[in-house]
Amino acid sequence: MSRGVRRGAVWAVLLSLTASLAACASGSDAGGDLTSEKVTLRFTWWGADDRHKRTQQVIEMFQRKHPNITVKGEFKEWNGYWDSLATTMAANDAPDVMQMDELYIASYAERGALLDLNEAEKHLDTANFDQKALATGAIGGKQYGLPVGLGMYSIMANLDLLAKYDIPVPDDTKWSWDDLKSIGDQVSKAGGGQVFGVQSPGINDAAGLSIRARQQGKAMFDAEAKVVLPQEIARDYWQYILDLSKSGAAAAPSVTIEKASAGLNQSATATNTAAFGLWWNTQLTALTAASGQKLKLLRLPGETQGPAPGAYYKPSMFWSVSARSKHPAEAAAFVSFLANDEAAAKVLLTERGVPANQKIREAIAGQLKDTDKAAKEYLDTVPVSDPPRITPNGASTLDTILKRHTEDVLFGRTTPDAAAASFIEEVQSEVDAAR
Amino acid sequence: MSALDELRQLRKGGAQVRKGDNRAAFWFLAPWFAGLLLITVGPVLASFALGFTKYNLIQPPRFIGLDNFARVLSDERLHNALRVTFTYVLVSVPLQLACALGVALLLNKGLRGLAFYRSAFYLPSLLGSSVAIAVLWTQVFGTDGLVNRVLGFFGVEGRGWISDPDTALSTLIVLNVWTFGSPMIIFLAGLRQIPEVYYEAAAIDGASRWARFRSITMPLLSPILFFTLVLQIIHAFQSFTQAFVVSGGTGGPSDSTMFYTLYLYQQGFSRFDMGYASALAWFLLLIIAAFTAVNFWAARFWVFYDD
Repeated sequence: MSRGVRRGAVWAVLLSLTASLAACASGSDAGGDLTSEKVTLRFTWWGADDRHKRTQQVIEMFQRKHPNITVKGEFKEWNGYWDSLATTMAANDAPDVMQMDELYIASYAERGALLDLNEAEKHLDTANFDQKALATGAIGGKQYGLPVGLGMYSIMANLDLLAKYDIPVPDDTKWSWDDLKSIGDQVSKAGGGQVFGVQSPGINDAAGLSIRARQQGKAMFDAEAKVVLPQEIARDYWQYILDLSKSGAAAAPSVTIEKASAGLNQSATATNTAAFGLWWNTQLTALTAASGQKLKLLRLPGETQGPAPGAYYKPSMFWSVSARSKHPAEAAAFVSFLANDEAAAKVLLTERGVPANQKIREAIAGQLKDTDKAAKEYLDTVPVSDPPRITPNGASTLDTILKRHTEDVLFGRTTPDAAAASFIEEVQSEVDAAR
Repeated sequence: MSALDELRQLRKGGAQVRKGDNRAAFWFLAPWFAGLLLITVGPVLASFALGFTKYNLIQPPRFIGLDNFARVLSDERLHNALRVTFTYVLVSVPLQLACALGVALLLNKGLRGLAFYRSAFYLPSLLGSSVAIAVLWTQVFGTDGLVNRVLGFFGVEGRGWISDPDTALSTLIVLNVWTFGSPMIIFLAGLRQIPEVYYEAAAIDGASRWARFRSITMPLLSPILFFTLVLQIIHAFQSFTQAFVVSGGTGGPSDSTMFYTLYLYQQGFSRFDMGYASALAWFLLLIIAAFTAVNFWAARFWVFYDD
């Protein structure tokens, strides 16, 4: 009898579990009409305080327009964001709308986690997007992400620090990486151990390495997702980072790593402990707010010495909708609002990049603060070449692999040459493993 | 009527009592039972099955035989993670237990305000594996942190303890040792069990303090010491939070805080290779089982059961 009860209970539990899983699988149609019932959308992004405030404001604007739709914002720092997205995706509990990065879009799209936004075109207006810009969020003809803004890699220079030490602002139209290092040395000398010249690159993202390759007419990946980065370029890159550290142009390795890992607000640029740092041009506003000093965007060094400029327009991020969203139509409508609504754009301005939507870009031009204007002007004036291919599936860990190799080099655990070889091999094996 | 008598009575009582009781017991246990099945047993079995597959968390798993287990042998970063984890376990557990025993011996002297000291020393154990303490640790051992300020006061130049691969693991070891409170409480209880007469007799025979400790305290405390050792080793192997928070999830700098569990986590949730992560989880189980077995075997030579 008791065994019968036990067995019955087990089956009941298993059956109810199956039933609830089956219920999760059903969803509404992306091409259907918007519902008039009460609906809650979950929307997630990464970023710093400034972004959170602006985004919450825009969410409220959307809710006023669609009183039956509640948008729940969930925001995190960059690192926690991707951990959390991976777990919620696996638990079939992904947010409906998410901020997606170039580093991860292929990984999520190729695993079938993202909705092809073309299915929701009825609710999503993309008329004012340049085709080239749209293509940055498409893989195999399917639109997995709508580009939000464009950004460019740049050097963020702290003018107040330079003025304090009486060091002239360098002429960025034809400066080289060596020029950056020597002016960095000057700043460090004047800074007396408190302020350093350069916030070391190679810790937070692989864009710097990619730029170095591009300046010499090479690239990180080819069209078939093969790693084609020449080992000498990677070696020179790490040698440069090591030289910055050895000469004192950058702070001691442990300080450098600590500051760079702690997020934008604790970075050397934000805490005014380094005069130059590599950043996306659109981070000017957030960094100016955090540092409280006058920052200026300089062109990248080494842009005029090689065959082509390394700079390019990078889609700063995408809006993506989960393939398992129960309300894809409403999610698409929300994305459309984020991308096309002028009032929303006037709140968001260029915080997520200079808007990829051309009509919006013009609409906000008059509203821009000085820092936003400077970011837009940088984008409008600095020469660029064609963007690199999207980071292939499997290489989402590119930045962390790079960081570990930089740490190994900075702490003398490996040589730049060995780091270069190991980096290339590891990235290639990650791409291969994801197939 | 004592509990034992009650039990006897129950046993004697007819089948109709037992049946009703069983059913009630079953329903009272059902929530726990469902939890065990769904939250523990289910995932454990699933992870065993997933160990033989390639599973990227979103698409269905694909059977690949023993590939994941073969990879364990050739994965150099895993070997580094093992080195880091073994160092952590083998250094921090003995240190932690030594501190626990030392403080327990001190407190056992019948200090005034014992309750206060006991609580004060116990507190870190409650907090030690929390995220908040790990965050605090990054501040304390940061470049501008407390440790460097104290060192600076003595004219010693500090560094970013957590962002330097030579010292990062040590900060985590210190954190673990700092949580010696819970073994200390257990030791304290154990010390109270040792009859005072043994010490009195030994003192009359002229045994030194050290001899009393070695020949009375240690043997009589050894079962408790053994129990604590086994538990703390298992616990240390499973440490995750501290390394995750302190390194920002990377196990860095230079993989120097890459605990086994953190590496496992990264395989599953950063590289989306849940098959390999599952295989690693089972491999960890084997390691812990082996350690525990060795511990039990070695116990024959030093643990004294007074019966």
